[in-house]
Amino acid sequence: MFNARITLPPQAKPGEIVEIKVLVRHPMDRGGQSDGRGGTVPRKILNRMTATYAGAEIFRIDMNTGVAANPFVSFMTRAIETGDILFEWREDGGATYTRTARLTVA
Amino acid sequence: MTGALRLPALLLALLALTGLAWAGDVVSGSTFLSPELRRQQDDPSRNPAWFWVDQGTELFVRKPAGGEACLGCHGDPVATLRGAATRYPQVDAASSKLLNLEGRIEQCRVERQHEPAFGYESPELLALTAYVASLSRGLPMSVRTDGPARPFYDAGKAFFERRQGQLNLSCQQCHDGLVGQKLRGDTISNGAGTGYPAYRLEWNTVGSLHRRLRACALGVRATQFDYGSPEYLALELYLAARAKGLPVETPALRR
Repeated sequence: MFNARITLPPQAKPGEIVEIKVLVRHPMDRGGQSDGRGGTVPRKILNRMTATYAGAEIFRIDMNTGVAANPFVSFMTRAIETGDILFEWREDGGATYTRTARLTVA
Repeated sequence: MTGALRLPALLLALLALTGLAWAGDVVSGSTFLSPELRRQQDDPSRNPAWFWVDQGTELFVRKPAGGEACLGCHGDPVATLRGAATRYPQVDAASSKLLNLEGRIEQCRVERQHEPAFGYESPELLALTAYVASLSRGLPMSVRTDGPARPFYDAGKAFFERRQGQLNLSCQQCHDGLVGQKLRGDTISNGAGTGYPAYRLEWNTVGSLHRRLRACALGVRATQFDYGSPEYLALELYLAARAKGLPVETPALRR
């Protein structure tokens, strides 16, 4: 089951560089293990995460099978205006998950 | 704060230098984490075990088809269930069986909610156990070892002290005698178990204390008992009694 913990500073000044911490619950199944019936388990990982803020993509990471389960990502961005940061994950097989977090700039 | 953290580290360094046997009190498994891992454990934005607590919080309020939600009886769990985990394992008065927190939750689910049991080590039971245990964070362990619990305590103590497996080791030889020394890449702890269910890096997931005990048994090539077996329940009681006074740390991070 997918879940995400997104941690932002409670408030930021205009122009301030802020750290955004993202922890995700996902097994990041690399695939290839036996399924016990003669076949193998298919790969099922989150292969991309993007973050969009103030109309622009501010962060993107492509993940591969070497990334551990429940990956943690942290990145910096410049606080421009109060608004939602939209996070989107793309999973093998085409499913996508989205979360938003509000950055307050004052 | 740094002073308090520095002392165990200094003690460990001293032990490593002299190769002395552990002579101190039982300490938490967190003592043996690297400073970086301890910071990750203590930061909810970086400790993935909190996902299981979140899931448990949701399960606690969800109404099953056949009966009442947990919340129906345990209203305001943050107050009413605070400290509950410190008293487990305990002897169930009705059945005279030893129950740990997992066993009590399963019993509640089957007898009061009239739902099929989750099954030991299922994600749902781990989540609910982690949630209920997390309500006792910081409170000292205080299991009862007298009265009806006495025979279980004695059985657990005997299990801890008995040599077992192909390597012919007892739990005591490492977890009393060689604490602070290295076993392959890891540091031997007292086996306090106060952080379980814990997120173990080796598992990439949250697991129960019994899963950890089974991993220990595999390591010394001894019989792996079943999840929730009488042997492990008795041992869990003995470990909890050894850890008396140590704070509950669920959901902890362990290597």
